[in-house]
Amino acid sequence: MSALALLGAFGTLLVAGYGLLTLLVHQETRFGLTEQIAFSWLLGTGAVSLLLWIFGLFVHGVLLPALVSIVCLLLGFVGWRRMVSLPFRCAPKSFEIFLGIIVVIEIAVVFYLSFVHTFGWDGLLNWEIKAHYAFANGGVLPATYFSDSGRAFSHPEYPLAIPFTELWLYFWLGEADQFCAKAIFPMFYVIGTFLVIALGRRLTGKTWTGLLMAAFLFFVPQITVEVGSAITGYADFPLGIFYLATIGCLFCATEPKNDTFFRLYASCLALLPWVKRDGLILWVVAAACGVFVILRTKRASRYFWALVPGLLIICGWRFYLSAMHATQSADFLPVNWDTFSNHLYRVLPLLSALLAEFHNLSAWGLFWFVVAIGVAYLLGQIRTPGSLVLLTALCCIC
Amino acid sequence: MASRFSYGRIAHVMLWCGLAVASLGISIPKIYSGATAYPLRPTRPLHTCDSYLKFATGASGASKDLISIFQSMTASKRIIIFTRKDDAFSSGLGMTTAYLASPHLVRLFEINGTHPDNELAKVNPDEVAAVVFCRMNRPAWLPAGKIFGSGLEIVSMSKKVQ
Repeated sequence: MSALALLGAFGTLLVAGYGLLTLLVHQETRFGLTEQIAFSWLLGTGAVSLLLWIFGLFVHGVLLPALVSIVCLLLGFVGWRRMVSLPFRCAPKSFEIFLGIIVVIEIAVVFYLSFVHTFGWDGLLNWEIKAHYAFANGGVLPATYFSDSGRAFSHPEYPLAIPFTELWLYFWLGEADQFCAKAIFPMFYVIGTFLVIALGRRLTGKTWTGLLMAAFLFFVPQITVEVGSAITGYADFPLGIFYLATIGCLFCATEPKNDTFFRLYASCLALLPWVKRDGLILWVVAAACGVFVILRTKRASRYFWALVPGLLIICGWRFYLSAMHATQSADFLPVNWDTFSNHLYRVLPLLSALLAEFHNLSAWGLFWFVVAIGVAYLLGQIRTPGSLVLLTALCCIC
Repeated sequence: MASRFSYGRIAHVMLWCGLAVASLGISIPKIYSGATAYPLRPTRPLHTCDSYLKFATGASGASKDLISIFQSMTASKRIIIFTRKDDAFSSGLGMTTAYLASPHLVRLFEINGTHPDNELAKVNPDEVAAVVFCRMNRPAWLPAGKIFGSGLEIVSMSKKVQ
């Protein structure tokens, strides 16, 4: 029964996301199956969590999931009418089939790992707690949760993309189930591998390159087994996947007249601050890269509208928190000039910690060495806007 | 043909093959130990809370009992939770208990030492539904509460106590 409910929840997320994808791309644009699934999931989780939050301002109880389900089905209907074309496909080579089987086995292992491990600390007490409380309160976070100083440790000010995706599962399951809620996170791993395959193919023109990169993703312990990985229920990994999608789309959008990817970039960009508070920093970086691409490719000024959805989400969430009198966690200092100038002495220890992280083989394996060599190759093509976008996006997150 | 098998190309292939092999050699032991560290657990709705409580107190399946206790109390009153400043287990236990104490408002007191008498004396018992001690000593003047494993005690502030 739980498996059916999970299928229903995931199905509606994907259907809603696919509907949005068909609205964003032209019908003549060809998208691979892996791309269609990846963008459908990312747009679906973003849209459903936003709808639960926005509709939750007006209704709660049974009406809330019913309304969101209706919107999902309507979007699915739109998707059915405006299907995205699949690319012309030649028969896969035996090496590609071999790599594909490896990737499938790795995905199965990540699902297994996810279910043998419990939620990590933040996964339970920062994220799942919100889904649990909202579910117990008819789909809406209780006003007392925001103002309860005793629960400030759970960061009521954190955004709701992950908790409300879990909430969507709880609605389908009919109970708050921490075991089933974990299924979301290996799904993000699946989407990550699909994006790597798709972007690898678009970057190099060869499917096997993307498959090989996706197969090696599994061998980064920080992605598969470490704290904050795809199995612990933290928002960091999903945030990384949204960032990958944002920058990947922007890279593809550097080609002249590729508006489809620019619209996808704008959608993924908007969702960054909705996944995690730190997503605001990534939003600033990705938005700056977007502005650079607009200026460098001499696009019309209307393309700056791509920044507006993200700004609306940022401002809407801040306004909501202020209306709910949300307590501010003591874990973070206010972002202002005084804080910056009073803590400048931390620059060197922070840089030292960053360098130590790069050669922390236990957590990252050889990942950063491979990235460094990749960057060295990229420097040879530094004149292209796409390469500059990739370099800036990579350096800024470091 | 000359360009197809140039030294540069051979070096390029060897570099990436070497990196791939080294990467697998470094990461596989770590991932293998992560994959085999725990068995598949029974699927309970509160399986993470249960695991945390078992880890900190040794009590199995305690989450459901904790929720029942808190739900039997007046929802409008607070739950007071005492944790030790220098003890990560106590702090974790306190936060897990706070999670399960919904819909009650909670107040977490993180104190030095294991005797919360001074802090408890300042609390108005009329506004409190229960006091929770996480790896702390209950003051002798307070009646015994419900004990879970080693280190978690919930004292209901019934009228008699007040």
